[in-house]
Amino acid sequence: MPRIDLPIDKNWAWGGASGAGITVAVVDSGVDAAHPAVGAIDRAVALRWDSETEEVISTDGPHEDLFGHGTACAGIIRRAAPDATLWSVRVLGSRLTGKGVVFAAGLRWAITQGARVVNLSLSTGREDYFGLFHEIADEAAFAGVVLVCATNNVPAPTYPAQFSSVISVAAHDGHDPFSLDANPGPPVDFGAPGVDITVPWLSGSTIASTGNSFAAPHVTGLVARILSKHPYLTPYEVKTVLRAVASNAVAQGASDDN
Amino acid sequence: MVSPDELLRELGELATSLGPAVRPAGTDELLRSLTETARRLFGAAACSLALLSEDESELLYTIAACEGADDVTGLRIPTSQGIAGWVVQSGQPIAISDLANDPRFSRELAEQTGYVPQTILAVPVETPQRMLGVISLLDRDARRPGAEQDMALLSLFADQAALALASVAGFNVLGRVLLAALADAASGNDLVLALRRAVDGLPTADTDLAALAATFAALARRGAAERRLALAVLRDIGEYLERRPPRPR
Repeated sequence: MPRIDLPIDKNWAWGGASGAGITVAVVDSGVDAAHPAVGAIDRAVALRWDSETEEVISTDGPHEDLFGHGTACAGIIRRAAPDATLWSVRVLGSRLTGKGVVFAAGLRWAITQGARVVNLSLSTGREDYFGLFHEIADEAAFAGVVLVCATNNVPAPTYPAQFSSVISVAAHDGHDPFSLDANPGPPVDFGAPGVDITVPWLSGSTIASTGNSFAAPHVTGLVARILSKHPYLTPYEVKTVLRAVASNAVAQGASDDN
Repeated sequence: MVSPDELLRELGELATSLGPAVRPAGTDELLRSLTETARRLFGAAACSLALLSEDESELLYTIAACEGADDVTGLRIPTSQGIAGWVVQSGQPIAISDLANDPRFSRELAEQTGYVPQTILAVPVETPQRMLGVISLLDRDARRPGAEQDMALLSLFADQAALALASVAGFNVLGRVLLAALADAASGNDLVLALRRAVDGLPTADTDLAALAATFAALARRGAAERRLALAVLRDIGEYLERRPPRPR
């Protein structure tokens, strides 16, 4: 696919950068701060739905990872952006009821508290959440917050991954954490490592896994690195930079020398 | 003298509790066929379908196609833990190829079935209205291409399962469906209002009664002799309970 002919290459994008000064929120199942691959978690909040009072209850303070997945994402992000500030926003783990509302509240918390990048390795296909997540995706974009979402494997709609204002990522079978492919067919934007990769998991272990939900944090890490070097970029400009450095992009007029 | 409101409510409860008895036959057979087909296609040791409980706090392993090993049907796992729990909560598919490193998963399953899987591939089963559950493959053929393509393929099975489940979901809340349909069709304010009140006031189905009705219906479908036998056994149990001294509560 044609490459945008701007003087943007990987060196311009993130050379010499490490994510310093950029806050990344992992909205997931919690993060195990004790895992050697994760490093420090600067802030943590756990949200759940109280069906009696019918509201979202949030609890500040360190929490455990109930599934292992949030830890995997945090570890992948840390590897690409070792000096980024990591936050954990736990929205998964208690009962499913009210899940969409909890998910939305967690996202909003990250945006309003000042995260610059949010990693979302989860999504919902429920049509009654379409409006809510569309609104939040817009809020993030207007606040300059980059939302990186794992897409779904099937053509069915999934929110917020399919909105144009977020960066949606699917797994490809590459293994280079500093390489990504641009996807020519919307709504998926990019392909990143997520097939048969080794990721941090529960109790300090690692596990070999496949999923779009591991590809998203790869891109999140790269975004944090880019923003630490070029903090003035808007989410749309970040997407442009990612597209410019995609491995499958070819200079216009040149032969396909991929 | 029973009021119309009370009458409608009783009708609604009865219909909901007996709904599973009149559910179209074949759904379970379809789901069993679906999981067995998936199991064979992917060369897996097992393919299972776990469905969310009414309050969404648990996954109940409902249908399982297994090669040899004891199956997991009937196993209940909280949605707040495990690979399957994560899949229904996140709405994302996942595959893990070295489960030995996830001590929680292997231990749970091994305790229940004596089978310790090495790999799992799980995708959500959902409609645009709600999440229904998860379909999982254990130890699929190692010679198959990457998990990514298999996730997309298994999702096709998940879609079919979702369609089958969605088409019979109404029977589990038959009272509500029935009365709401009547309210839509009725004219005359009083009747419509009474029906709508009855719909709103309906509690969830009596699950034991629903299970009894479904079991009886399944037995009855086997034939007239089987139906008579089931009825005779039930009556004998009833008479025994009548004769037995009451148990202290």
